[in-house]
Amino acid sequence: MSRGLDLAEAALRASGGDDAEVVVHAERSGVARFAASIVHQPTLIENAVVRVRVARDGKIGWAATNRVDSGGFAEVARRAREAADSARPDPNFLGFAPPAHYSDLGGYDEETAELGAADQARLAAAAIEAAGGIGLYGIYTSGVTEIAVASSTGLAAEQETTDAVCLCLAADTEASGWSERTGWRAADVDPAEPAREAAETAARTRGGGELEPGTYRAVLEPVAVADLVRWFSYDSMGAQGFLEERSYFCGRIGEQPFDSKVSIADDALDPANLPKPFDFEGTPKQRVPMIEDGVIKGVVWDRITAARAKNGQVSTGHAPPDAWRFFGPVPTAFDMAGGEASSSEELAEIVGDGIYVTRLHYLSVVDPRGGVLTGMTRDGTFRIRDGRIAEPLVNLRFTVAISDVLGDVPGLSRDRRLVNLNDLYDERFAHAALVPAIATGHFHISGTGSGPGL
Amino acid sequence: MKALAEAAVDAALGAGASYADARAVSLRRQYVVTKNGNVDDLSDTESEGIGVRVLVDGAWGFAGSGRLDESAARDAALRAAEFARAAPGRHQTHLAPVEAHTGVYRTPLERDPFSVPLTEKIDLCLRAEEGMRHDEVKVTVAMIRAQHEHKVLVSSEGTNVEQEIYECGGGIDAYASSDDVSQVRSYPSQHSGVSGQGGWEYVEELGLDREAPRVGEQASALLRAPACPPGRTTIVLSPEQAVMQVHESVGHPTELDRVYGTEAAYAGTSFLSPDDLGSLRYGSERMNITADSTTPGGLGTFSFDDEGVPAAREAIVEGGMLRGFLSSRQTAAQLGAGRGGSMRADGWARMPLVRMTNLHLEPGEGSFEELLADVDDGLYLETNKSWSIDDKRLNFQFGTQVAWEIKDGKLGRMLRDATYTGVTPVFWGKLDAVAGPEEWTLFGLTNCGKGQPGQEAHVSHGAAHARFRDVEVGVSA
Repeated sequence: MSRGLDLAEAALRASGGDDAEVVVHAERSGVARFAASIVHQPTLIENAVVRVRVARDGKIGWAATNRVDSGGFAEVARRAREAADSARPDPNFLGFAPPAHYSDLGGYDEETAELGAADQARLAAAAIEAAGGIGLYGIYTSGVTEIAVASSTGLAAEQETTDAVCLCLAADTEASGWSERTGWRAADVDPAEPAREAAETAARTRGGGELEPGTYRAVLEPVAVADLVRWFSYDSMGAQGFLEERSYFCGRIGEQPFDSKVSIADDALDPANLPKPFDFEGTPKQRVPMIEDGVIKGVVWDRITAARAKNGQVSTGHAPPDAWRFFGPVPTAFDMAGGEASSSEELAEIVGDGIYVTRLHYLSVVDPRGGVLTGMTRDGTFRIRDGRIAEPLVNLRFTVAISDVLGDVPGLSRDRRLVNLNDLYDERFAHAALVPAIATGHFHISGTGSGPGL
Repeated sequence: MKALAEAAVDAALGAGASYADARAVSLRRQYVVTKNGNVDDLSDTESEGIGVRVLVDGAWGFAGSGRLDESAARDAALRAAEFARAAPGRHQTHLAPVEAHTGVYRTPLERDPFSVPLTEKIDLCLRAEEGMRHDEVKVTVAMIRAQHEHKVLVSSEGTNVEQEIYECGGGIDAYASSDDVSQVRSYPSQHSGVSGQGGWEYVEELGLDREAPRVGEQASALLRAPACPPGRTTIVLSPEQAVMQVHESVGHPTELDRVYGTEAAYAGTSFLSPDDLGSLRYGSERMNITADSTTPGGLGTFSFDDEGVPAAREAIVEGGMLRGFLSSRQTAAQLGAGRGGSMRADGWARMPLVRMTNLHLEPGEGSFEELLADVDDGLYLETNKSWSIDDKRLNFQFGTQVAWEIKDGKLGRMLRDATYTGVTPVFWGKLDAVAGPEEWTLFGLTNCGKGQPGQEAHVSHGAAHARFRDVEVGVSA
């Protein structure tokens, strides 16, 4: 691809001298989706979306199109201008982002970029083959994404990234196990590995038993940790929820409600994650500590929320893609510190008596200010007895306060796993969490659900 | 657009496809959002392209291109065929027969929502916001949306249909907070308001500014309301919460692709099996669920689905017994029953999936007050706040923005942080009354997620107040 900045600058010229900002979000991707070991929904996408934001006398309007020609640019600029003229002056708009210097962080791999439909199908087949006799469900996907920002301030930013993801559910009617791999180099995502791991987990889930509701000690695998932190972040770790007093962090900056072993930052600058040098306003990304040694440190910001704070706060480089704009800025590159445990088995020893959770399902925020979430476990839930992972359990409903789960963390794994957070809605925006497995002293089970398996 | 879709289908057949369809789509969306008296979002987006689906040696392939020209259409067809040919696994795909249709559908409307000046929309939002201002209400939000989708479907079996669908909708939210408590009150729904198929008249009928003072007042009052206590009790669901219950615990589990496991890795499967058709008791005799893609004003209303199957009204649950599934041509053929009719795609870049269209809890009889009159001690639960259900759609937990005690058949004091939980067929078995047609309301939701890559479907549900006995409430951390 590599024409994003050209498109952005052409669209900027078409905006006719207005104060304007153009974001180009382009993708070329393939998803080989499989079920029962058959690729049943293979999807190839090629698209480029151009978003023009115009400021006229302090009034903001924006429009977007995927018609990337002069006619399309003229029309999208006209609509953006019309929207701006209809708006009211925005007291929180302090102008578009100024030009900046961006670091070269990597995140692009030519071999990954060159993967085509036949390759994606071949890699899906490798996963299916590695699962052995059990049915495999999931996806192998790879793609190239380009994000470019140009504005009338002279800002010009572009980044081309690649990503590859293999998500594997090994399952039959009575058993199911999950594993996954994510990276920006396809070479780091061997589809056979998660397929084998998922099949091994599934084999241990047959005959899942019930569990009395109550509060248990637990081990959460990285996939479960990532989901829990992600859902907590929507209201609590972004500036919008913070300013609007929905965040658990409100009134608690500087307090220590979490275990001193818990540190969570957002760090898109880390090449071990899916690195990104700037956000969707072109602001350079910062590493933002959100919880450090159990102490609440802060949230992530974009330019609008920073202005709303009226306290000198600046953007941390977390303006979201258009599709998420109603959430405001949110973390997209979680970086949770690991601990001392050499494995999940060692964490089970620390827990002694409790439950082992591989994956979570369908989380929802019950009480944002209280940091209370609910959801289900699935695809690998086990009892821990005498410090060992023991018999399988049915899927469990949990209703937990994050301050309880992360308030008592007797151990974390040394190794961390990069967990995919991209559900592939809207334009491709690969993002992930680099997190360890954790042991917690407090995981509240409020009900039981279906057994493992399809 | 028709010529491009025809060219794509020709190219696919030339590349060895035994079946092909192409959808050329042009989509425009507009949002007006105000927050705390300022314009927060004023956006106008358009997307156009073509999605080509092919069957080669029994395997599906799909490719989408964001360019509406003949070379892009043909190229998408060839790429789809290449992907299908490379797909691993033993493929046996059969499609339920459908008569080839030609036709045109256009949403009936009085006033094109895109012809309404943005300033008029902003003024309505700001008026509604003004009405929500109240002690301790820290954030007010008003939103109006409009959408126009123009799509042409051409298939290798002779289907050639053109549809033009207009949607619009809106909603308001008031967020109140004090000390360490935050509460929200919304109208008509928390989930981006509600939408319907139609013109600007739909937004006007919502009465956002009319309802605003109540919304603001209740948000503030929730801060001082006691929390919903735990226990087992009788609950009455508002129509808005009843449609969420239908959506999650009836709509998704009756999607036949989930029953066959093809959504297993992401959205999950279903507790239902194909053999349950006609024999499974889903709920009490008061439970009647209908899938109806002909409902006037429904977001799932059309003349033809995205496989060209004509719209219809069909029973899903009748007298508490499972009578039907939501299906595609492929899953209907697999089941040996049904005809498809629920295949829908999110824009041109996604493959159609089995989705809800309009799925309704049919009304019973009597008024809301009559439903309450038969409750000595219970809860009235209004406006969804949180929602979660397991991967087979059995164990669910919902939270509502507000609950009201029911004492001796009358509404009493307000409670906050209400939740209820249950297991789908057990819960529906406890349905003992649904209010009558005069209480039945249609709600359109625009955020139903499914599929990989993800797709958001726009679906409608109608329901009246519904009463359930002996339900666990007040789940807490």
